[in-house]
Order: sequence, then structure tokens, then C-alpha cells
Amino acid sequence: MILTGSKIKEEINAGNIVIEPFFENQVNPNSYNYRLGSTIKVFNGFDGKKALFKEVNIPEDGYVLEPRKMYLTTTKEVIGSSKYAMSLIGRSSMGRYGLFLQVSANLGHTTSEHKWTLEIVAAIPIKLYPGMIIGQVSFWKNFGTVRKYDGRYGYLNHPQESYIPLIEHQSI
Amino acid sequence: MILTGKKIIEEVQKGKIDITPFDKSRVTTNSYDLSLGNIIIRYKQDIIDPKCQASYEEITIPEDGLVLSAGDFVLGHSKERIGSDFYVPLIHGKSGTARMGLFVHVTADLIDIGSHGVTTFQLYATLPVRLYPGMLIAQVSFWVPLGDIVLYKGKYQNSTGPRPSMTYKDFKYDIFKKN
Repeated sequence: MILTGSKIKEEINAGNIVIEPFFENQVNPNSYNYRLGSTIKVFNGFDGKKALFKEVNIPEDGYVLEPRKMYLTTTKEVIGSSKYAMSLIGRSSMGRYGLFLQVSANLGHTTSEHKWTLEIVAAIPIKLYPGMIIGQVSFWKNFGTVRKYDGRYGYLNHPQESYIPLIEHQSI
Repeated sequence: MILTGKKIIEEVQKGKIDITPFDKSRVTTNSYDLSLGNIIIRYKQDIIDPKCQASYEEITIPEDGLVLSAGDFVLGHSKERIGSDFYVPLIHGKSGTARMGLFVHVTADLIDIGSHGVTTFQLYATLPVRLYPGMLIAQVSFWVPLGDIVLYKGKYQNSTGPRPSMTYKDFKYDIFKKN
């Protein structure tokens, strides 16, 4: 079962969901609108065997994403839940611009709690502003006993590239 | 919990799910198949600025199809009007569509409870594909909510065709002064 907006608010008050900072006018009928953080990392080629990501602050007057490049950034909010599983996706207003907010990894594990890394790919050039409302997160009831998340990414608050090493290779 | 096809038929008959027109033969085990309407929107802006209204053109898909090149991004729409005040709809591609490398949404599959209208498809092609009007392109599933329901009253309500993004309306609010 997916939580309604009213239930999300109740569970924040009960301490079972964390969204910090939280603003009631960002609650949707069945999700919460999250905002874009203030830094972005862009893949910038290889140095020897090491993949380089350049991190930049997103200026107040915006940062233009180029199509088919991959960017990493974070939610402005710390988002998590000790009780529910999460699905973090884009919002329809950004999807209508062709902005992917994740690359088919929407599932957030119960008990993880952090500023989520967003994997951003733009289908067409688009300008992003720090703090803009950019995506939505929904909360889902579990079935079964919850085992605490023990992965490597679930507590990080900065845009974190994959721990799987990227190796320079020839395109097929 | 996700509704089965049989439950979708029951809830359509009770008026708790709106799918118009409704054709029982399009009900699948866990979803309903959606067909592509004949209007496409293509942005004409060099760079999208979410603070401003983007310019775009409307194209009618000819009967013999419209080709998207790899990397093209356009908006389409379902022929069907869909919505529910009782369940949460989720949009998915059909596996046949996906096997052609065609995205029907761009990480925004979730529809608000209480939202009614034709749905806008966010069509992103990774291979050259030909779109035909009326082709079965996507599917909608319905999920049981938990908690009190407050219905959607947003800016895309009662859409009758593809709707470009209206993010410029968000910037009227003072969202940037929040900490």
C-alpha cells in the first residue's frame, strides 16, 4: 500500500518518516515533493584509470545541463523512514521536460536516511536552479519483518559516484 | 497492494476507476493497456528554463506514422481519460514498447489520486522508432492507498491532450526563501 499525503504527515509527526526540512505545501495526494541540493557533479573524463567527477556549486541564476551527459547531485532534504520503503522519482513537471532524476534505481530501503544522490540525465538542454522543486518521493507499507539496511550508500549526504570503478574503455 | 485485472473491471463498473473509453479486451492480469493519441508536442526552445513558459509546436501523427530518431524527446498523450478518487494509478511502458528502447515516461510514473484526464506521455527514444496513432503503447496499474485521501487539485487536471510542463507557475511561490 502507498501512503497518502495525510498519512505521510501523520508518520512524520509520529517519527516514523523523516523529511528535513519539511514544508506542508510540498505534500502531494500520495507523495512529497523534494528539492534540488546546491552542488552537482559531472563526469569529466579519466585520469589514468581513475574516473574524474568535477563538483560545482549550482549558481543562483542556474546551471545548464547538456543532453546525454550524466550528473550526480542530491536532494536538499534528508529523507528516510524506519517503517516504510520509499520510491524516489521525478515529478511530472520535470518529466515533461525530459529530465531523468534517477537511472532506474528508484527504490529506497527502509531504515536508510540521508540526502539522496540523484542520477540526472537530461533528454534536452535544461537549466536547473538550486532549491527548486524537482522530484517526488512516495512511501510504501512493508510486508514482512524489516532487516536494517546495511548498504554503503544509505547514510551519505553528498552526491556520491558509484563505488564500482569506472574504467576507461573503447565504445563498442 | 496492486489491483488485478478483474478488480479493475469491477471498480470501473462501480465508478471507482475512470477509464474512458473502456474496452474489456485491453485489461491485462494487473493493468489496463493505453493507446497513443494523435497529437505530439515538441519543444522549440534551445534551452529549457523552468522559470519561463517554453515554446513548442504541436504535430499530428499521420496514419502512416511519425518517426522519432534516437535521442528525440516529445510529449504524447493517451487516447483514454483515466483517473481514480480511490486508487493511485502508475504508468508503465508496455514491454513491447520498451523492447524498442522507447521510454513512455521520464522517471515520473506516479499519478496523484483524484487526478483525472488523458495522461501525458514523456516519449524518449533510444532507437529510431515509428509511432502510429492508436497503437498500444503503455499500461496503467492501480494501487491501494493507506491513510486519509485528499484529492488532487493541481495544474494538469482535466487534460484533454498532451500538456507541456507548467513549472513557471511554481516559481510564483516563495520556494527559494525556505531554508
